[in-house]
Amino acid sequence: MSRPGRQALPLVTPALLVIGVLFLFPGVYNVVLAFQDLTPFDAPGDAEWAGLANFQAVLTDPLVGSAAVNTVFWLTAATVIIRLVIGMGLALLLHSRVLHRWRLRGFARTAVLVPWMVPPVVAVACWKWIFDGNTGVLNQFLVAIGVLPEGVPFLAQTSTVWWSVIAIIVWRELPFVVIVLLAGLQSVPEEQYEAAALDGAGRWASFRHITLPSLRPVITVVVLMTVIQTFNNFVYVWLSTGGGPGTYTQVLATQLYSKAFVANSLGEGAAIGLAMTAVMAVFALAYLRVSDRGRVEA
Amino acid sequence: MRWRPRDLLVIVPTFAILFVIVFPVLWMVFTSLRPASALAANLPVGQWFDGLGFDAYGRLFNDSGFARYIGNSLLVSAVSTVFTVVLASFAAYGLSRFKFRLRGPVLLIVLATQLLPFVVLISPIYLAFSEIGLLNSYVGLVVVYVAMTLPLAIYLLLGYFDTIPRVLDEAARIDGCSTAGVIFRVVLPIALPGIVTVVTTTFITTWEEYFFASVLMTGEDLKTVQVGLSSFFGEYSSDWGMIMAAATVATIPTILLFSIVQKRLVAGLSAGSVKQ
Repeated sequence: MSRPGRQALPLVTPALLVIGVLFLFPGVYNVVLAFQDLTPFDAPGDAEWAGLANFQAVLTDPLVGSAAVNTVFWLTAATVIIRLVIGMGLALLLHSRVLHRWRLRGFARTAVLVPWMVPPVVAVACWKWIFDGNTGVLNQFLVAIGVLPEGVPFLAQTSTVWWSVIAIIVWRELPFVVIVLLAGLQSVPEEQYEAAALDGAGRWASFRHITLPSLRPVITVVVLMTVIQTFNNFVYVWLSTGGGPGTYTQVLATQLYSKAFVANSLGEGAAIGLAMTAVMAVFALAYLRVSDRGRVEA
Repeated sequence: MRWRPRDLLVIVPTFAILFVIVFPVLWMVFTSLRPASALAANLPVGQWFDGLGFDAYGRLFNDSGFARYIGNSLLVSAVSTVFTVVLASFAAYGLSRFKFRLRGPVLLIVLATQLLPFVVLISPIYLAFSEIGLLNSYVGLVVVYVAMTLPLAIYLLLGYFDTIPRVLDEAARIDGCSTAGVIFRVVLPIALPGIVTVVTTTFITTWEEYFFASVLMTGEDLKTVQVGLSSFFGEYSSDWGMIMAAATVATIPTILLFSIVQKRLVAGLSAGSVKQ
């Protein structure tokens, strides 16, 4: 071994060992589990080989199919797009000269960060209370102004449940998007806007032809990071609806948990996990390609 | 300052949006202070502020196991943070100072673990932990949390260590310092802002974690704050005052720690995502 290698080894090994044991080993073991028949109460040694039975069970289960659709469209695509649109609007607002002139930028930026300081479980608790069908403040407000004749259990009826879950996720995860887009806006040289203004470009034209193109790399990173963070998310759906009403809001992460620890089939849970990992690998590779940190200096 | 009527077109919507953003947190704290009887009734706004007090906090700490959950979370988060910071310091120092051949792959592995879906690891970890008796054990949860927070900690510290001149290491070595001595006496004190950032982000991440804590720590006495809070949703679902009191208590540490690192965290995120 080379000299720098010998010196670095004792320093790097303990951390790598922890990461290896807790990430690589379970990652590989998950692949094995997907081909086994095992409950959480069995010893791993007693596992029987199941061939492709787990995959067959999972692929033919209509519940898994609807969970996959929910994960892609509601949990991920809808929340990422809404975060991006609202986040861009807020970033532009926070970047505006007016707020600067009124010395409100600092205050506004801190206020925008508030949801991020709240643990996700707390975020769900707050919104469950706001959405409560009987005494929740949103229902009281909507009834008071005459929009609704009586309270609506937002998280318990199919017509409103997904939009309510989306509201919780967007609220808690918006600050990250705003901060990164704001940093992107600040890195666009002012001269470009001045030159465009001289050429007679209006606000929309300069947003369309200067701001958006300059922000494209930042937007790509934001989309990939939020997709990766959200696709696997368990806590928001599980704690706000439990996958219900019925099985209406089941997503892949809650299905994985239900198969493994409620239906006691670790193999089927592992098969879902494997499918999730495969999908995420595509996004992770894309992220590694575009991100700065991905270009590891060898 | 020149006042322009047109400014209101920006100021008013901004404050409206900021109010919506901050409202759930204000409402949480407000609810926790209201008497239980007021929450069930649909009171007119004029009576909202009648009888505010800490009754709900009294119920929380006397009638539920929440004090115990706080102790569990403090213990697990604090111990995890210490281990993560120490292990990450060594690893980041090694990666910063020695250009060994596997350095690139090691960095890539560390980064890749951040992108892996954590949920997927639950069954294998559950099985392995039940085999070696780490279910319902503080040690088990700490090990998971250390692994979970190490990658980001290594990356953050690496950024700080790379800015510290090597001349300082060499000077300390000539004075007879060992590698550990160089790290603890020379590099870490200079990188103190970095250490503070890592300590706070690690503590916040572990304090907020729900999934692994809920699966690996099922004993009533071993619940963490987040798991305890979530268990109230069903148990005390009519006592929103107490649930909001628990939620408020669960948020205090993260808000405190976040305010310490807010500026640095935001700057770091911005630098990481925007190519300068």
